[in-house]
Amino acid sequence: MRRLSIAIVVVAPIIREGVATIIGHNPNLRIVGAVDSIAELQVLMRSTEVDVVVVDVALQRDIEAEAELQTLPIVGLQSSLIAPALQRRFSHLATIYTPEEELHRMLIEAADLPAEHNFAESHELSERERDVLVLVATGLTNKEIASKLNISPHTVISHRKNIVHKTGIRSVAGLTVYAVLNKFIDSEKFQ
Amino acid sequence: MTKANITIGSVVLSPEMKLYELIDAAPVLLSIFSRLNIRLPFGDISIDEMCRRDGYSTELFIELCAIHIDPRYRPNEEQLTENMLPEVIGYLRASHRYYAEHMLPHTARHLEDILKHCDELSERVLRHFYSDYVRYITAHFDEEEREIFSLLDSSTASSANFAIFDMPHADIDDRSNDIASLILKSLPEAAPTPLRCAMLQDVYELRDDLRRHSSIETYLLRPLVVKFLKRA
Repeated sequence: MRRLSIAIVVVAPIIREGVATIIGHNPNLRIVGAVDSIAELQVLMRSTEVDVVVVDVALQRDIEAEAELQTLPIVGLQSSLIAPALQRRFSHLATIYTPEEELHRMLIEAADLPAEHNFAESHELSERERDVLVLVATGLTNKEIASKLNISPHTVISHRKNIVHKTGIRSVAGLTVYAVLNKFIDSEKFQ
Repeated sequence: MTKANITIGSVVLSPEMKLYELIDAAPVLLSIFSRLNIRLPFGDISIDEMCRRDGYSTELFIELCAIHIDPRYRPNEEQLTENMLPEVIGYLRASHRYYAEHMLPHTARHLEDILKHCDELSERVLRHFYSDYVRYITAHFDEEEREIFSLLDSSTASSANFAIFDMPHADIDDRSNDIASLILKSLPEAAPTPLRCAMLQDVYELRDDLRRHSSIETYLLRPLVVKFLKRA
């Protein structure tokens, strides 16, 4: 895999340096900057490409105020309780207790999210995502769905990631119930 | 293990702490008392006095309380002693019973109240989804009892299948979150809000308790089994 460029925005210097050290243990992850404010992150991003940012969740409102950050994959670093509604901006949430390997996994997964994904957008499914959801619910594999909709398996996977993100439901069984409750699927199709 | 204090947030757990102080500081611990069938009223009895009276290790009881208050708490493995293993297994077995006899049926009753307000297909898929969730959890418990807990009864055990702890816990957590998401976002409007809230409280309580259960297995049971197998 390609080496990912990671920026860190954490106010407390001890935690900031600690997180940078732990991320640096993974050879696939490279720290391109560790700063203490969103303003400094923006300065950094003007000169450096960043794949994923680790941000102290206390800076949530500062991120939302900046339109240019809305499509950036962000892993939140949680040091206090945070309302679920505020967690949506973060693709993953780490705490100061998160094991090293888990933090590495979160960063790699965050970078892998579809590039066109906008984390601040509506959680309503697009028409294409509904099509994919119905076919997932009826038990088809990614390959079968791709063939049926005339799209690539990679695009199906990308739609599935968006569906999981928007619905908050991970299991196929749960997605099936979601499709039924939202009337995307009727009893005839369900047999 | 020395009888040292453990600080979790603003709660300082110590052998001298009175049980009424403990519950007052962390009511979430009531479920431990329920599954261990610890006698009430407490009067002025301390943690240490209760443990000596009922035959529990004070140190282990405090570790269990610490994980229940904050599942991110990590016990010091070096201070865990092998004689704690039967007690941890006893606690986990009691927890399995508590889920099977109390928490899962309680949640199922609230689900049935909600299903009365759903159309036939929604009712069918939701009931099936919950039954499947319960089957998955109980099958996982059965497997743990068979593969891990039974090691204690064997004098020749030399290895344990620790994979049992890993994937199912993440999967159970995902399924718990799926149920909550479905009730929060997609349940038909006809289902009254108080019923939804009652069900959601059950689901979140169950999810959080299963997370604690998972932490106890990973950070107390697993190191103790490793010590047990080394000796065997």
